[in-house]
Amino acid sequence: MTDVLPDLLAHRRARRARLRGDVRAAARVLPTAWPIRTFIAVNPLAGLEGLPFGTALDTARAALGIRGTLPEADFRAAFAAGRVTAADLRAALHRRGLTAPGRPALTLGGGQVEEADLLLADLLYGRPTPAPARRELTATERRAPDVADAVDAHTAAWCAAFLAEEHAGWPLPGRDRGLYGAWRGHAPHDRTLPAAAREHLRRLPPTPDDAVLEVLDARGVPEDRWAATLRAHLTRLPGWAAHVRWRGDRDGGPDLVEYLAVRLACEEALLAAAGATGADDAEPLPAPPEEPSARARAQAAVRALGLAELPAPALEAAAAVLGPLPVSARTLVWLEAYEAHHRDALLAALRAPRPVAAHRRPAAQVVCCIDVRSEGLRRHLEATGPYETLGSAGFFGVAMAFRDLAGGPAADQCPVLVRPRFELAEEPAAGGGAARRLAGLRTLGGAREAFGTAKEDLLAPFALAEAAGWAAGPLAAARTLAAGPTAALGERLGRLVAPPARTAVDVPAGLAPEERAAVAEACLATMALPTGGRAGELAPLVVLCGHGGTSTNNPYASALDCGACGGHRGGPNARSAAALLNLPDVRAALAERGTAVPADTWFVAAEHDTATDRVRLLDVHLTPPGHRAALDRLAADLAEAGARLAAERCAALPGAPRRAGRRRRARHVRSRAADWAQVVPEWGLAGNAAFVVAPRSTTVGLDLGRRVFLHSYDAAADTSGVVLETILTAPLVVAQWINAQYYFSTVDPEVLGAGTKTVHNVVGDVGVLSGTGGDLRLGLPWQSVADGDRLVHEPMRLLAVVEAPLARTAGVLARNRELAQLFANEWLALAAREHPGDPWQRWTPSGWAPWSPTEEDR
Amino acid sequence: MTAREGLTRMTRVEVVVPGSGAAGVREVFTAAGATGYTALSGVSGLGHSGYHQGRLLFNDQAPLELLITVVPDDRADALLAGLRRILASGSGVMFVSDTYVSRPEYFS
Repeated sequence: MTDVLPDLLAHRRARRARLRGDVRAAARVLPTAWPIRTFIAVNPLAGLEGLPFGTALDTARAALGIRGTLPEADFRAAFAAGRVTAADLRAALHRRGLTAPGRPALTLGGGQVEEADLLLADLLYGRPTPAPARRELTATERRAPDVADAVDAHTAAWCAAFLAEEHAGWPLPGRDRGLYGAWRGHAPHDRTLPAAAREHLRRLPPTPDDAVLEVLDARGVPEDRWAATLRAHLTRLPGWAAHVRWRGDRDGGPDLVEYLAVRLACEEALLAAAGATGADDAEPLPAPPEEPSARARAQAAVRALGLAELPAPALEAAAAVLGPLPVSARTLVWLEAYEAHHRDALLAALRAPRPVAAHRRPAAQVVCCIDVRSEGLRRHLEATGPYETLGSAGFFGVAMAFRDLAGGPAADQCPVLVRPRFELAEEPAAGGGAARRLAGLRTLGGAREAFGTAKEDLLAPFALAEAAGWAAGPLAAARTLAAGPTAALGERLGRLVAPPARTAVDVPAGLAPEERAAVAEACLATMALPTGGRAGELAPLVVLCGHGGTSTNNPYASALDCGACGGHRGGPNARSAAALLNLPDVRAALAERGTAVPADTWFVAAEHDTATDRVRLLDVHLTPPGHRAALDRLAADLAEAGARLAAERCAALPGAPRRAGRRRRARHVRSRAADWAQVVPEWGLAGNAAFVVAPRSTTVGLDLGRRVFLHSYDAAADTSGVVLETILTAPLVVAQWINAQYYFSTVDPEVLGAGTKTVHNVVGDVGVLSGTGGDLRLGLPWQSVADGDRLVHEPMRLLAVVEAPLARTAGVLARNRELAQLFANEWLALAAREHPGDPWQRWTPSGWAPWSPTEEDR
Repeated sequence: MTAREGLTRMTRVEVVVPGSGAAGVREVFTAAGATGYTALSGVSGLGHSGYHQGRLLFNDQAPLELLITVVPDDRADALLAGLRRILASGSGVMFVSDTYVSRPEYFS
């Protein structure tokens, strides 16, 4: 007996460890998602980035039922509209090795037909690919679909109750026992379950691991099938499962084994109650949809080309051309052609060196975030006066946890790729009225909390309706019918109760002087400002301009804020970076390191509201008197640039005045941001397609349509390649996440997007549901990417465009395998050149190649 | 008397995975009964797929992480079984070796 016990213990441990390993492996296909309170745009298929893009789509299609690309019908419509041309398709076929120059034409139906023409006919007229469907089904989905639906409903209700509990009116009893523990305590008393199921649930083991193992054993699932079985369960409700994984990994919440224990134990109990338990392999998995044979496709293509019916040998020859392109891979060719059309035009526009306005010393340098929306502001500001603009990740190198004047929990104001390096706070400035503002903020906060609590309480809503209903009704009408004036009134009232105060944001005080100088130096270097050997001169004013997007009644508000600031507004980072760069001891340390900052240069923080296009200069009270006049001129020019940008954006906003004057259009975007019924406060990053790493001289004067991330880079000053490596391993990765989020929300709005906003119900700060139950929605709502049936976002993978020595760029990839893998697996593409005017080169795993076969001919 | 006399033999397991995969490895350590581990982030080196850059300025996730744990031999099989499952479907390597510890009670 004494010998048996350790063996049993070791056996149990081994099974649990295997289970944990399998759950992790199974969860790779789960979409990656962040809670809605800090909506971080991520590639939902990040777990599959180790696979080639096409293979990852196949994997996700089977597990999640996604499409992965636009449907063929949409691509064919794009072809009819000239958005994709036959030349684009031919080039895509050539790049994929499906055609090659010099191969003889086929003799078909009495005529000569090029291979490419046959393939084109198949792409344009072949039977469309079947609609996507999840194929990795659970045994219960196949055997007892009603039970599977009931398990989903039960699991979703429990996830909502447990995971959004901090926002619920009533605390969940037993929550301290974890998701599985709390559920195990309650489920046997849940009268919504059949009595026989409740009886079954009384005998559950105490640990979630054992609960899962018991079910796997009961169903006779062999160990080598555990991962597949568990994956089918995880992907039934991918939204909730993804959130559970995030909670387990990030804040010590319940993990996926607990989640699976609830699902599987509930399912087993319901099956037992229905007398339907049994082995998991009782029903075979559905076969993949049958594809037409290459011969059938060849016949259809020949007919589309208007040729006569072919004899067998000719048909075989034609089928041999189509065979290497399975029907399921046709949309990848379409996607590549669709992308190439846009990319080729962009690279052609960037081909020639741009004439740069010669400002001996600009009045100001304005450093904006790389966000695509900054491109419009920069373009319009440059047109107003002697300004230079630059692009850098909008956290300006200050990776901080930040606490504002009102206190509360600190927010991580940095890309989610990094952990905050320090914690900073907004502090009152002497004589600035901070005490009054703070008291006012507390009053407003208290009133909001009391109103919110009263709404959520069981009985208080009745009293609330009696006491405040007379005002709430007209206020609601005013907010709907006159959103702009009502918001302005609210803003005035707010300023009355909590008047603005003079405050300042800390600089990283806990750091040693040399560490502060290092932060400042990295900040300047990544911005490519003319310091430390870079050509040019720092202006008297250098503006660090963060951004945020104002919207009302919008659960996805943080999706409009700065991704580089962790889904928060970027003002605090700009303030902290400016404060750091203005410190005399930091300036002295920078000078010692060879990064001299002129004594008359002053760094100023600003924040661009991307919904209203107003740019607010921050901490103006700290500016030395000698810079005030220049700052006033800059403020006026920023206002002018903002008004021009607002007018430009109105052309694409649904319901916006198209022909009205600039002032009216500026009023319109402000009103839109304040409208609580507005589902499209702005278009956010819709349309994003490329990421340019180059000096502004490469893009200045071009209207890039707010579709390009612009990161400034001066190759001549980065001989070590450290700055390029930083840009490619951080801002580019964040941009790729954003791009992938928009891509998949557009092509798969039902699975990887959040669907229409109009039926959304918010679940705490966790996410949204469509309706009252079901799965937690993933990704962006449809109104972020489309206007009705018209796509506003063109779903394309990101193109990185780098102007730097090719060997340096290749060196960065060689040192960073995960980054190289993203390119090699075609999650994004890379075009590069060393100097303006050089032909563009395409990075491939085997070296550089001309961007397109015709590149040299251009 | 050898230098190892009085020490207890155990199994040392080192795993190198991308930072994004470290949470899964830690989970398996715990499930297999490991009482602790050491983690080194931002490790660099040359592997079969090329050089791996160490610490990056603004990316804590891409660099590799080295996780080390020591378990009594009777827990090693459980640990290795779990880790194999993770490594079979993702990138990473594992090294297993005998080791000797002076305070066995810390690891049991």
